[in-house]
Amino acid sequence: MLDALWERRALLVSGKGGVGKTTFAAALARAAVASGRRVLLAEVEVSPEDSESPSPLASLVGVRSPSARVSEVSPGLSYVRLSAIEGQRLFLQEVLPVRLMADAALRTRALRRFLEAAPALREMGVLFQMLALVRRTRPDGGPLYPLTVLDLPATGHALALAALPDALLSVMPGGPIGRSVREGLELLRNPTLTGALLVTLPEPLPVSETLELATAIGRHRIPLAAGVLNRLPEKPFPPEGRAAVERLLGTHGPHQGQRALARLDRAQAAEVRLASNLPAPLLTLPELPEHGRELVERLATHLTGAPS
Amino acid sequence: MSLQSLLREKRVLVLCGAGGVGKTTTAAALGVAAARAGRKVLVLTIDPARRLAEAMGLTEGGTEPTPIPPERLYAGTEVGPGRLDVWMLEPRIVFERMVRRLSPTPEAARDILDNRLYRFLSDLVAGMQEYAAAEALDGFLEEGHYELVVLDTPPSRHALDFLEAPGRLARFLDDRIVSLFLPEEKGRGGRLWRKTSQLLGSVLGSIFGESFTQEMRAFMGAFSGLFSGIRERAERLRGRLSAEDAAFLLVTSPESASLQEVGYFRDMLHERRLPFAGYVLNRSWAREDGLAHPEALLRHAEDEAQRGGVEALIHLARHEQVRADAHRGLLSLLAENLPTGAVAVAAPESGSELEDFGGLVRLGEALATS
Repeated sequence: MLDALWERRALLVSGKGGVGKTTFAAALARAAVASGRRVLLAEVEVSPEDSESPSPLASLVGVRSPSARVSEVSPGLSYVRLSAIEGQRLFLQEVLPVRLMADAALRTRALRRFLEAAPALREMGVLFQMLALVRRTRPDGGPLYPLTVLDLPATGHALALAALPDALLSVMPGGPIGRSVREGLELLRNPTLTGALLVTLPEPLPVSETLELATAIGRHRIPLAAGVLNRLPEKPFPPEGRAAVERLLGTHGPHQGQRALARLDRAQAAEVRLASNLPAPLLTLPELPEHGRELVERLATHLTGAPS
Repeated sequence: MSLQSLLREKRVLVLCGAGGVGKTTTAAALGVAAARAGRKVLVLTIDPARRLAEAMGLTEGGTEPTPIPPERLYAGTEVGPGRLDVWMLEPRIVFERMVRRLSPTPEAARDILDNRLYRFLSDLVAGMQEYAAAEALDGFLEEGHYELVVLDTPPSRHALDFLEAPGRLARFLDDRIVSLFLPEEKGRGGRLWRKTSQLLGSVLGSIFGESFTQEMRAFMGAFSGLFSGIRERAERLRGRLSAEDAAFLLVTSPESASLQEVGYFRDMLHERRLPFAGYVLNRSWAREDGLAHPEALLRHAEDEAQRGGVEALIHLARHEQVRADAHRGLLSLLAENLPTGAVAVAAPESGSELEDFGGLVRLGEALATS
């Protein structure tokens, strides 16, 4: 299954905050590099005001000062923090007759504020910078970044990003915006080029939300590549053991391990529910004791070693 | 100060936190606890998970807050004087009301609401949810019908998006800036102004096309009558949120509690002079449950299956212990260096319990009494 993922141009990693989405995005990028791909790992800036705000993704791959300029992290792996204003600048340079005019325009406080405040224009800037990076080529004509792994913002904003192209096309079907939006959609809606991966946890609420998210993404016709069930606890019971212990606990009352036991049951139910309702293959990741960069490495190794 | 006294004394409780930490559940549980303690409470939420909405008896797209029936609120005890309303914010409805309230005439309001650009903007969720939440909160505080409003801020990657978005809009609505985008007869003179306005005109024209730019300028012209009203309200809300009777809580979970982000949150509130009230560490195993160790079960095990099962349970108990210790360590880190009056409390993991209202009642009690 992973080999099929590496063949695409863009992998969009989404899911609620706190499910390990960012760590997974970093591990996915590492695994792709280990399989011989050149990868651009991208994320979306939090807000235009604080370009200084901490970036967990950048520190997971060892980037000290995350910025809208692509930096090479290690052989085959590059990182970028997509920025609205950078995308808008690129866009203006492309559509305005004179390059100087784009620079002058962006120095205008009024236009900058307009671009920051109007929500659609910010997302458009981000989308445009990503398109520009995907389009970049090497001297031999091949893509500079054959695979982009994008760590999308939390669910709500990811959906807004997904909804944007249609909304934009409805008000501005023609002109330069319409053109680049259409180009963006050709990439985003083509299942051989793009795939979304929805990361979730083996708990009832996250699974419900992931199934809702899958439906919403389908409505925007963005192809779903896989579900990712993260932090699946190991199953310590021998056959018959679970039922036997239940009988003992029934007679002798609850003991320590109760919470872990309930969690294990919820996890198993969640896995079954997700596997049978998600219209895409399910990737499961074990719960591991590591944190931060060590966890990224372990997960990447797990991904590359996983039977396809 | 405890969470309980916050629930008794404050007028506004703003819950911030990244997506997925259980913020909405916490808001609902705190609202339930405050109402059961006798106050008139409104919980304002955006986009709750369907099961949680069902647990609260919420209907989607309601135009008004939904009252929780008192028998339900007080299930298991005598009905008291407290009341709880819950409203799932509809940005579209909030904006429509704002436009109607701030427009000089009903016709002016209709001109804006019928404009296709207006519909386009209010259809886009990102950013607009934050404005809508701020606007709705201000409206309910002004109206004064509730003794406590608990605001569950919109889901975001960043705990602080809610604080940023209204400021961004207010900065844009600065008259000098906005006038540059207005149709020319509405703008003002000055050579520099004219030059800038022309530059913007040609930039916008090349990007959006001439006709769309005209349309946009006309829309801004129609909308500009509302700007001073919007700015005033943003100022007023800022005043209310920095007052003594407001409190900001950061909700986080053991998995996503990055101490870096937690500290960042506190500093940002401090910078903006907003009252920081503490942390809720959600879904934690920090509390002792006082149960016996499963080794005690070994002597009752009668066959291989039971022995194997107990061994596995012992293994699970060891894991549980490690987790619980980690959560306790995290809680005491959060409790370090708290300003006077701020709290750091652990909310128990409720598992699948929260699918009914009783689960919210229990969680609310656990939070209030810790």
